[in-house]
Amino acid sequence: MAKPLDVIVPNRPVSPTVIKILIVGQALVALAVWWTAPISVLPRPDEVVSALSTLWMRGLGRELITSLMLNVQAIAWTVLISLALSYLTVLPFFRPIAAAISKGRFLGLIGLTLIFTITLGGGRTLKLALLVFGMTVFFVTSMAAVILNLPKERFDHARSLGMSEWRVVWEVVILGTADEAFEVLRQNAAIGWMMLTMVEGISRAEGGIGAMLLNQNKHFHIAEVFAIQIVILTVGILQDYAIGALRNLFCPYATLTLERK
Amino acid sequence: MTAVSAYKLNETIVDVKNVTHAYGDHTILRDLSFTVRDITRPDSVTGQVVALLGPSGMGKTTLFRVLAGLMPPTQGEIKIGADGVPVRAGMVGVVFQNYQLFEHRTVLGNLTIAAGQSCKSSSEACDKSIDMLKRFGLEDFAKRYPSQLSGGQRQRVAIAQQFLCSRHFLLMDEPFSGLDPLAVDRVCSLVTEVANLHELNTIIVVTHNIEAGLRVADTAILLGRDRNPDGTPVPGARVQATYDLIERGLMWHPNVDQMPEFVELVREVKGKFKEL
Repeated sequence: MAKPLDVIVPNRPVSPTVIKILIVGQALVALAVWWTAPISVLPRPDEVVSALSTLWMRGLGRELITSLMLNVQAIAWTVLISLALSYLTVLPFFRPIAAAISKGRFLGLIGLTLIFTITLGGGRTLKLALLVFGMTVFFVTSMAAVILNLPKERFDHARSLGMSEWRVVWEVVILGTADEAFEVLRQNAAIGWMMLTMVEGISRAEGGIGAMLLNQNKHFHIAEVFAIQIVILTVGILQDYAIGALRNLFCPYATLTLERK
Repeated sequence: MTAVSAYKLNETIVDVKNVTHAYGDHTILRDLSFTVRDITRPDSVTGQVVALLGPSGMGKTTLFRVLAGLMPPTQGEIKIGADGVPVRAGMVGVVFQNYQLFEHRTVLGNLTIAAGQSCKSSSEACDKSIDMLKRFGLEDFAKRYPSQLSGGQRQRVAIAQQFLCSRHFLLMDEPFSGLDPLAVDRVCSLVTEVANLHELNTIIVVTHNIEAGLRVADTAILLGRDRNPDGTPVPGARVQATYDLIERGLMWHPNVDQMPEFVELVREVKGKFKEL
């Protein structure tokens, strides 16, 4: 029998219902704190809702679609490039290349803008390239680590069935890590939204929700800034759920267990 | 001594000759040799079970990988089958301690992919897999993923998968490790049952569980290091003793573990373990 104090006992398992109650309760407390916060600089929830309505009239939906399309396109390119590079680390020749790309995560996007602009021109191509670069360096780092940490027994098991080395790569490295690739994608799609504002700020030609956020920020429209942040957060969470749903669809084994939840 | 049942030793089907393996300067196996011969008995199908016994750190895992053809020995050779073909990966079935399976495939998928390595068509592979599911009593689990199986079910699937590659040779790494006594009984029965599915089936069990190893094996091979006159170990494990359980009348008895001769043998091997 679960007791109310179980939620503050270390490592105590609690039912999904209790977790839902905790989420709703904590969200309500957060809202109450926000509503009654004495910090005058914070906009009240009603002001944020009002700002959201105003922004919508000024084309927030259109800007959101522009950003969403850019983000999805960047994710697609990132997945293609990163997975190819990560899988290629099974060939020793490609390991230094993947390692070098992985180190690119220490580079600031601002510092790369000039080189990218000279190489690719401005506008959408520049934004896309910067986003893809920003996500790829993290994606390759995580995915290459997943592949590097595959236990030797998994390779030996496939070899013991008489598989060729390329077949071993297909079964163990590519199919065998598909569920983890989806998890890495979830993390990097979130990183993509974090970078989007910066990238759309670098090249505002096409607009986008990031450019809109920077404009509102510049004019100290706090309620509008909050409203846009909430929109980005909502879309990001929905995208996260969508990727999770795709993972469950294509990799149903990833969440299956013998134990009852 | 219990009477020995009628049996015949035929041709050599596993020949391990002068195998030495070293990682750099560190010798793990030294001049290791043993053979396994086909045992036949009138009116029954009798496979072979060999137990490779040895305390931890004696190079059992290295020998396991070498026997499986997953790693060539530094010196020596391993031949399998009556034709004496040098072993290579894929010729010997391997059941790892944690019962490796492809987690992204269903039980039937795991079997089909193994059968596909030797079948000409996917339908033939599927038919063979379904037949194997029935033989191992796994029909009800065909659509399940490995993560939905118990340890015992996983073990059966892992064994069935290896036998689907049309081989009679199976290596099992520590199949009794971490099991309770009842589970050990179940695995012993499974090993015997699987060995006796075909006359040429040969199972090599690598284990440090003396009692369980001796219960299933017709031959037990004890691995260990020699000692210098001053008592320091000589690097590299060798065969220290070979126990023929058929000669000792300890094979093909349902309750062999309760026989005084068996208990005495377990004590003897344990004593040897302490000296290694």
